[in-house]
Amino acid sequence: MIYLDNAATTLPDADSLEKASVYLKEKFFNPSAMYREGFELHKEIDAAKKHLLSFITPSSDYDLIFTSSGTEADNQALFNGIKRGNLVVNEGEHAAVYMTAKELKKRGHDVRFAKLLSDGRVDVEHLLSLIDQDTSLVSVMHVNNETGAVNDIEDIADSVKKLAPKAVFHSDGVQAFGKIVYRLSPKIDLYTISAHKIGGVRGVAGLIKRKDFHIDPYIFGGGQENGLRSGTENTFAIKQFEFAAEKRFRTLEADFLKIQEFNRYMREQLNPALFSFVSSKSASPYILCAAIRGIRAEVLLHILNDKGLLIGTGSACSSRNRYSRVILACEIKKELAEGIIRLSFSAHTTKEEIDQAVQILNESVSQLAERMK
Amino acid sequence: MVEKVVIIRYGEIHLKGNNRGYFEKVFMNNLEKSLTGIRHEIHKPSGRYVVENYDETRTDEIVQRLCKVFGTHSVSIAYKVPADIDRIFDIVSQIAPKEGTFKIVANRADKSFAYNSMQVNAQIGGRLLAKNPALKVDVHHPEHEIFIDIRENGTALVFNAFFEGAGGMPVGTSGKGLLLLSGGIDSPVAGHMIAKRGMQLDALHFHSYPYTNMQAREKVETLAKILSGYIGEMKLYVVSVTHIQEAIHKNCPEEMMITLLRRFMMRIATHISNQYGAQCIVTGESLGQVASQTIEGMTSSNEVVDSLPVLRPLVGFDKTEIIERARKIGTFETSIQPYEDCCTVFLPKHPLIKPKLEKVHEAEARLDVDALLQEALDSLEIVTIN
Repeated sequence: MIYLDNAATTLPDADSLEKASVYLKEKFFNPSAMYREGFELHKEIDAAKKHLLSFITPSSDYDLIFTSSGTEADNQALFNGIKRGNLVVNEGEHAAVYMTAKELKKRGHDVRFAKLLSDGRVDVEHLLSLIDQDTSLVSVMHVNNETGAVNDIEDIADSVKKLAPKAVFHSDGVQAFGKIVYRLSPKIDLYTISAHKIGGVRGVAGLIKRKDFHIDPYIFGGGQENGLRSGTENTFAIKQFEFAAEKRFRTLEADFLKIQEFNRYMREQLNPALFSFVSSKSASPYILCAAIRGIRAEVLLHILNDKGLLIGTGSACSSRNRYSRVILACEIKKELAEGIIRLSFSAHTTKEEIDQAVQILNESVSQLAERMK
Repeated sequence: MVEKVVIIRYGEIHLKGNNRGYFEKVFMNNLEKSLTGIRHEIHKPSGRYVVENYDETRTDEIVQRLCKVFGTHSVSIAYKVPADIDRIFDIVSQIAPKEGTFKIVANRADKSFAYNSMQVNAQIGGRLLAKNPALKVDVHHPEHEIFIDIRENGTALVFNAFFEGAGGMPVGTSGKGLLLLSGGIDSPVAGHMIAKRGMQLDALHFHSYPYTNMQAREKVETLAKILSGYIGEMKLYVVSVTHIQEAIHKNCPEEMMITLLRRFMMRIATHISNQYGAQCIVTGESLGQVASQTIEGMTSSNEVVDSLPVLRPLVGFDKTEIIERARKIGTFETSIQPYEDCCTVFLPKHPLIKPKLEKVHEAEARLDVDALLQEALDSLEIVTIN
């Protein structure tokens, strides 16, 4: 089986699972407990936070709130923008931000949606035109999960703060963290990361926040995470996240170059008569989004599935959700929007897998085109 | 603790003459099967069935399952007490309301019982009134009714409610049919109607994987499962028509896709019926509902079925009537899930509404019908649903 759907989730890293299993089997205590065993775990969670933060910023100006998922972290970020004024998001956001924004709009908040460019990046000019003195929160994802488009969040945050100095800037970094080289700057107030996209397990993610920035809890209860995220900490998942990320960041730059080369090679090898690319060359190399004319992506997905190649699609065969909202927002024509596939790689993807995938893809698409002629 | 029993009354079997015994036996069997997995005993004293010694924590489920068995007219949960006027009153006073209007309805099968029905009504009603001053008798429009059934074996059954059964005839008493089950709203309703007349059913589903997905297949299995709640175990035959659709797409006029595909489906259904002992084909077609369900469309698909009747129980129904029934039998919510059962990739924008047989023959002549048919039959998968 060749797995090229790593933007959906990745295989949990085996070494980290092994190393963290002690937190399931022996160090199972409640980190809030007052006895030594509990307190030790509390310290280990703090250490995991510092460690994870160190991968993305050298400064100690940031905190990390562990959440159960990237979606939860995004929800918490957005709900912190509703105290006053308006919120500005964009059409390219993952459902975790987009649907939350829609819900806030439904509840009567002034929510504005910026348009996209054809490769999935935010149309910055349009975004800035939506911002005014009353803007309370702006959310722009770092790497688009469907097209891989990279938004220059530093630059955007800078422009946003000039127009609205009090605005909070949030970025969903789930597809960036552990994949592309990036250092957080103080312009970014909130940043979402997730474990399971880089070899961690599901059930843990985080919201990074500037220390001097006040945020309200989204989930209430026993006051864990300094009152910002209640619920007994998932020590195992947190530590496994830490270990998996540590491994990931150790080779991040070398992996990036390797995947960049695979991506370039794949673009070159996929039959240009059949595939056209939605991802621009400046996109994250970990995501390659392509459109196939006249073919419904889910049909191809089934054929590839039978041949042992697992990929993602930007559309489905169901009569609802036929097209991806994000792909349509890139103003891609409907006949192409039906045939959107997403190939997404992990640091462990090999050249052999890429070669086989290219062959299966070229062969399957031309056969299918022939069958449907 | 007073023992509880479940009474099942049957409907149309009463009308049967000499073969009544056969109908009753099949019905008993179906009732038994419907309670598989729940502790119980079923007896048939006279003119009814009684479930005893059952798992009382699952009473609601038992009633629900029994009500779905075709042949069931109504079901009641009754208290079983010795046929003694004091004991009867004890239980009546326990289940009787404390206020409002009521009526006692006694029925004395045991004619040796000391009181006749009217006397039982008067006795029990009188005592109840004396005990609960806020109660009033109303024999015409009572808010509450309490039924007392004095049986021959020295027991009395006391109950206060009837649950409506599915009605109809016991499944298995009217032969066996093959239902074309698409995943839409209509076909499960058609199957339910025919099974209600006592026909045992198997179902046949066509898919066009990879143009359709696993969710569509799962949806059909869910529908079959809901149907099997009424009709018992059934076989689901699943056949791929992918290559047939591709061949029609390549060789025949676009607007003929559905007309020609329907003919292949009927041929496949005929083969499977003959092979697995179904005596007819059942479809959910309703006259004029969609392009292929015109009289010309039906003529075209009937032409290839030479040896079997095609039953179309919904032929005269409006869509709204079908939906109402689908809701009632519990298939509607599943049917409207948005997974396509047959690929829309190949669906023509303007399907032929009134296909002429000669044009159909002409188009079909461009296909190797026998080879395509055989290939489809080779793809047959059989799933047991229960």
